[in-house]
Amino acid sequence: MSAQLLLFQVLNGVGIGMIYFLLSVGLTLIFGLMRFVNFAHGAFYLAAAYIAYAVVLWTGSFWWALLFGPVLVAILALIIERLLLRHTYALPHEAQILITFAVALIIQEAIILIFSPLGHNVPVPSALSGVLFLGPYVYPSYRLAVIGVAALVAVVLWIAIERTKMGSILRAGSESAEMVGLLGINVDRVFMATFALGAALAGLAGVLVAPLRGVEPFMSAEALGIAFVVVVVGGLGTLSGALVGGILIGLVQSIMSTLWPEGAQLMIYAAMALVILIRPTGLMGRI
Amino acid sequence: MSESTKGEPILIADSIDVRFGDFQALSGFSMSVQPATIHALIGPNGAGKTTLFNALTGVRKPSGGRVVFNGHTVTHASAHRRVHYGMSRSFQVTSLFSALTVAENLRLAVQARHAAEGWVFWRGPARRRDISDEVDALLTETFLTGRADTRAGDLSHGGQRSLEIGMALAGRPKLIFLDEPLAGMGIDDVHRTKGLISSLSSRMAVLLIEHNMSVVLDISDRITVMAAGRKIAEDVPAKIRTDPAVRAAYLGSTA
Amino acid sequence: MQALERSPNLATAVVLATLIVLPFVVPATLASQIAIFATGALSVALLLGAVGLLSFGQGLYLGVGAYVCGILAKDAGMGLIPALLMATLAGAVLAGILGSVIVRRHGVYFVMLTLAFGQMGYFAVLAFKNVTGGENGLTGVPRQFDLLGLSIANPLAMYVFMAGAFFLVFLLVQRVIASPFGSVLAAIRENEPRSIALGYAVARYKTAAVALAGGIAGLAGGLHVVFLGFVPPSDIELEMSQRLLVIALIGGIGSPGGALLGSAFYTIVSEALSEIWPRWLALIALLLIGLVLFLPGGLWSAGRRISALFERKTAHE
Repeated sequence: MSAQLLLFQVLNGVGIGMIYFLLSVGLTLIFGLMRFVNFAHGAFYLAAAYIAYAVVLWTGSFWWALLFGPVLVAILALIIERLLLRHTYALPHEAQILITFAVALIIQEAIILIFSPLGHNVPVPSALSGVLFLGPYVYPSYRLAVIGVAALVAVVLWIAIERTKMGSILRAGSESAEMVGLLGINVDRVFMATFALGAALAGLAGVLVAPLRGVEPFMSAEALGIAFVVVVVGGLGTLSGALVGGILIGLVQSIMSTLWPEGAQLMIYAAMALVILIRPTGLMGRI
Repeated sequence: MSESTKGEPILIADSIDVRFGDFQALSGFSMSVQPATIHALIGPNGAGKTTLFNALTGVRKPSGGRVVFNGHTVTHASAHRRVHYGMSRSFQVTSLFSALTVAENLRLAVQARHAAEGWVFWRGPARRRDISDEVDALLTETFLTGRADTRAGDLSHGGQRSLEIGMALAGRPKLIFLDEPLAGMGIDDVHRTKGLISSLSSRMAVLLIEHNMSVVLDISDRITVMAAGRKIAEDVPAKIRTDPAVRAAYLGSTA
Repeated sequence: MQALERSPNLATAVVLATLIVLPFVVPATLASQIAIFATGALSVALLLGAVGLLSFGQGLYLGVGAYVCGILAKDAGMGLIPALLMATLAGAVLAGILGSVIVRRHGVYFVMLTLAFGQMGYFAVLAFKNVTGGENGLTGVPRQFDLLGLSIANPLAMYVFMAGAFFLVFLLVQRVIASPFGSVLAAIRENEPRSIALGYAVARYKTAAVALAGGIAGLAGGLHVVFLGFVPPSDIELEMSQRLLVIALIGGIGSPGGALLGSAFYTIVSEALSEIWPRWLALIALLLIGLVLFLPGGLWSAGRRISALFERKTAHE
């Protein structure tokens, strides 16, 4: 394999991995705090991707899409949390899983209703449509930008969680939501905010992916599966888990796609099975 | 009360350490239990008694030390394996199959001992007369015969504690761990259960955590006193009653 | 499912009556589909009702069963019954292997893993597309209509075969949950730590239940390919797992008969609605939310509540 190809594959892997990180970090943060797995997570990713498609179609600007996608999805998440989810916190976890799963179906069907069951392409923003020269090698600018944005988000999140008051509430709440409530903090608000943040991050992933893969209504199911794999591999509940898991899975997929293209996706699951056997709580996990 | 028999202990705990993060719950704890005796474990709250139970029964693996049961080293054996070696326990916080009847709770406990029976999938359980006979015997022993068809969750607290003991007995253990069996019981229940526990020593060893001092002093052959994860005294009841270290640990709390 | 299903004979009667009436109410081909998906849904209902394990991945085993049955019939010239048996075995063995790994995890972790592995099936089909036909599905499967001398070529005979297969599985599941093995599963569902403390090798029991459910789903897959004559990739996609789960929940997991009710409801409604409004799945999703919040026992428990209402009425008269 030539050096150019290897670099390409590694960068691709990291790029996909960073998308997978963005996709999964919301899921893992929500679980860490609220102890439930949001089966509508893939649907938020989907919705934001389609919002991006629509915004680009109507305004021609990807930058508006980058704003509206995550924000609108966060609002959607808040509405769902207020209207529906808060009634389920006392129910067994199967109930929450099934309800969020049903919500995901409704969102998916709504998207098909509005946009049609066929996929669409989303153009790469013109400012980033070229290639970048890294020494003697070339690489698409957009993909580098995606890696950059995701890395920035990772850093900002880390700072927010480790260094701010809100972050310490989140961390404390992950240990014991009850304690945090007893300390006088409005746990309801913290849940709402975390849920909205998680959705927004999934939404950001959806917007960023749209120019790379296009949009189609069944990407939510695939995204959910990937998010689960990442979280199982990296460990549930931590930022570092989502990062390590995401990049690892991205690299596996990318490298396998040159060695055995048809089996690349399958190998992701083989990797997951391997991690479960060796380290059941995930590479960075504690739970 | 039976005389403690000399010979090999049924259970040896050797320098058990249990750590939760930075907190040392048990430090170098050692004790042994003789067969066919009633051995009580007492100490103030937080002394580590239930933690010791958990380490001995396999619910929590110790970070150091050895557990030898009936000649087998079981330190890292799984909890369900230890049951087959002859250990059985009741829980401090009642843990039953609340939605099932008393009789079904006991039947499940007896069935567990007949290991192959649990894998029979082609016929109903009622065919095994020997199992239902054992269940009847257990119902009688725990004074629950009249409540056989009651939902376990609907029993009185005393009834549930008795059912807990019954389920532990179903395993025909060589050593039964009872974690505060009398907690929350009314006077009559305490009296009956005390008699039941006493009668057990003819067939098995009993390791008992209990706060009811008069019962403990009355029925035990041997008492081990714990505080802050360590053993502070171990002797016959008469000596423990007057031990100054024990007094100090309890600081005046008596039954 | 309650360790001792409240009235198994009544359930059997209802199921038998439904199976007999069905071909008079709907076209025989639709009735066959109902029976096939009822069998698949039974695998979900068994795990959730009897053991308390929620699986988003039974579609994997249905798909595997379908592909195994189809490939053996096509490339190995295997007959109808042996191919179906192999489909069942394939589902059971794969479920046993995966199950032994994922039963070590509990709660949401377990559910997530079932979904993740459920996804895997489709990618495995793509990876080995020389054998499976990849995205185009498995075509060229010889139609086997000779069942021990009887022909199941015509739709009604086909339905009788499918209904018969479902009924046998239904009886088996009833037997299992009323057996000592079933009582252990119920114990694990009710209070797992207690079951371990009694000495039950809980992980082994769970794996066995997962394997049994996998075998049932595999059989359903085999029946599907016998019915269709080919294997669409949708048989192994996540959507299949979701469909089986929804059917099981609508029908109610309190009794194995729920799977038939749920399948009848789902299949008939989807047939009726898909002409009028292609997005009928959204309505099913709303129904699901309503069920979870207000009627967790599904249609089966609704039936029981209505009959209880009648009992009370006649008692007062």
